[in-house]
Amino acid sequence: MDLFPQFLANGLVMGVFYALSALGLTLIFGLMRVVNFAHGEFYMLGGVSGWFVTNHLGLDFFSGLIVVAASMAAVGWLVDRFLIERVRGQGEEPGILLTIGLSIFLVNGTLLLVGPAPMKVAGAVAEGPLFFGPVAVTKLRLLAVAVGIALIVGAHLLIRRTRLGAAMRATFQDPMAASLAGIRTGHVYAATFALGCTLAALSGMLLASIYSAQASVGGLISLKSFVVVILGGMGSFAGAIAGGLLLGVAEAMWGGYVSMGMVDVIGFVLVILILLFRPQGLFSIRTERA
Amino acid sequence: MRNVVLGGLLLTGIAASVPAQAQDTVRIGLVQPLTGSVAYNGKSVVEGARLAVEEMNAAGGVLGKKIELIVEDGQCTPANSVNAVEKLVQKDKVVTLVGAFCSSATAAIMPVAQKYKLPLITGVSSKASLTEQGNPYFFRAAETDALMAEAFAKILANDLKLTKVAYIGVNDDWGRGGVEEFSRDLTALGVKTVLTEYFDHGATDFFTLLTKLRAARPDGVFVAAETQDGSILVKQIREMGLDTKVFGVGSWATADFINLTGEAAEGIHAAVPYASSMDTPRNQTFVQKYEAKYGIKPGKYGAAGYNALNIAGQAIARAGGTDAEAIRAALAKTSYEAPNGVYKFTDKGQAYGFDAVLVRIEKGAPKVIASTPVDAPH
Repeated sequence: MDLFPQFLANGLVMGVFYALSALGLTLIFGLMRVVNFAHGEFYMLGGVSGWFVTNHLGLDFFSGLIVVAASMAAVGWLVDRFLIERVRGQGEEPGILLTIGLSIFLVNGTLLLVGPAPMKVAGAVAEGPLFFGPVAVTKLRLLAVAVGIALIVGAHLLIRRTRLGAAMRATFQDPMAASLAGIRTGHVYAATFALGCTLAALSGMLLASIYSAQASVGGLISLKSFVVVILGGMGSFAGAIAGGLLLGVAEAMWGGYVSMGMVDVIGFVLVILILLFRPQGLFSIRTERA
Repeated sequence: MRNVVLGGLLLTGIAASVPAQAQDTVRIGLVQPLTGSVAYNGKSVVEGARLAVEEMNAAGGVLGKKIELIVEDGQCTPANSVNAVEKLVQKDKVVTLVGAFCSSATAAIMPVAQKYKLPLITGVSSKASLTEQGNPYFFRAAETDALMAEAFAKILANDLKLTKVAYIGVNDDWGRGGVEEFSRDLTALGVKTVLTEYFDHGATDFFTLLTKLRAARPDGVFVAAETQDGSILVKQIREMGLDTKVFGVGSWATADFINLTGEAAEGIHAAVPYASSMDTPRNQTFVQKYEAKYGIKPGKYGAAGYNALNIAGQAIARAGGTDAEAIRAALAKTSYEAPNGVYKFTDKGQAYGFDAVLVRIEKGAPKVIASTPVDAPH
């Protein structure tokens, strides 16, 4: 029982990380109805470009974070204008194929440019342990949790409280009515996709400073993010947080009290249970599409 | 990667226009993980292999022809490695196979090599049982976990004054094999096992595992992991504030591991068949050439690729033709002078005679603290 506080702390930290990395997906998946299989690759690009700006351009961590955010927003905007735009309104399958293709392209492009070696992103603070009673964490993890929470709150406010956010919600409720009301829906789609990409990339860079960045991490991130989004309910920020924390704590407890080797199974067991008993997810109110 | 893609395109063109028999090169197929969590180590093998091929071609090639190395991505998974071998055999008509890094993947391609009656050499896969399957086409130019454990268990137990050890391995045949062999030999020396855990390839967060480790209070941790997983694990051991001694198997004595792990790497021990600081003239030349070509000192896997290709090339030269049976017979009579000693094969295809070393990482460099020749298994 004395291990419980540490397991819980590990689970909560991982939970925030999962929520953070799933945020971009829940936005794009939930609002735009694009099943973005390239999500993990945007996360990976965030880590790799984070390594590039801190290691090669010599920026400190936070300036690097801003540069990465800006450039990934641009990438997201372009991807939407030139690729997603072409399959919009044609149902989900073309989007799935497109993003799968995009993910293959991004992984191999990255392998070609920087190779498969794991890369280290210099963190913002030192890596030593901090002790709260029996619980050990690191400053870097606490910082990442703090930045993660700030990003989640920021994205929430952006969508709920700003004109752009209102335009987004209007566009995804009824694109026709929105464009009749004078909203430039093309820009709103692109802005939403750019925001999703930026969130994915920021979490990628943040977590790369704790673990490492590598060209082929994307697949696992995509899978876990889909688990979080399905648990929490599509398009719901509260759901992403709840789903992330649930997954993180469940994995920590299973790994702690049962076995580490099977830990990746937990997420999928949870998904099966959720789909059986509450298919709309924990937090989604809508059960059908608008 | 680019070479692979270009090579693939070129080959498609060649295969369409020229009948396969009219090869003007001797083709050797290499299956390694080029994507996934051990991709980085797979790439090192490919680098070493290319260097060996380059050297042999510069010396005139074999059978009066150049050697052509065809690399395929097996992703360390059994299914993809089998696909890669099928492609190399069916389409590229290679005369010898080298691969496939992960023991589980190698175990899967062994029957395929036997089906096509092609010699298969691995420079890496170390699960002991591979050479016990009676596959006459399989040769292992690498140490096994059992041989490493036998060679170093005693030195480790005495030097590190181990009494209670925790074992952590990656969840595959190699990791499980390493943990089993070392725990058996250390237990025989009176060292208690307090924890055995496995994690999946590509895992990034080990805090839960390390919480259990902290509770078990071992005075040594044995780790079987490759560069990426291993460096993150060792870093997090220190982040948790644990100061247990860490020792293990995997590609630990490499510049990249040390660079990724940073200060946390100081003082850890690794049992490896090769370290760039080994003190033989042949090794010094090898390190020099490797560094000139790739800008980095070779590690365990660079040397493994280099050795496996040299063994293959020399066997083809001695066979005097590309007949698979002749190459197999020549391989069995191998006596290859590697940077790390002389490789010979037992009847079962297990290499012996080369040196293995125990290194300690000090001030960011692997320092050899014990060296012992690997004996034939008995």
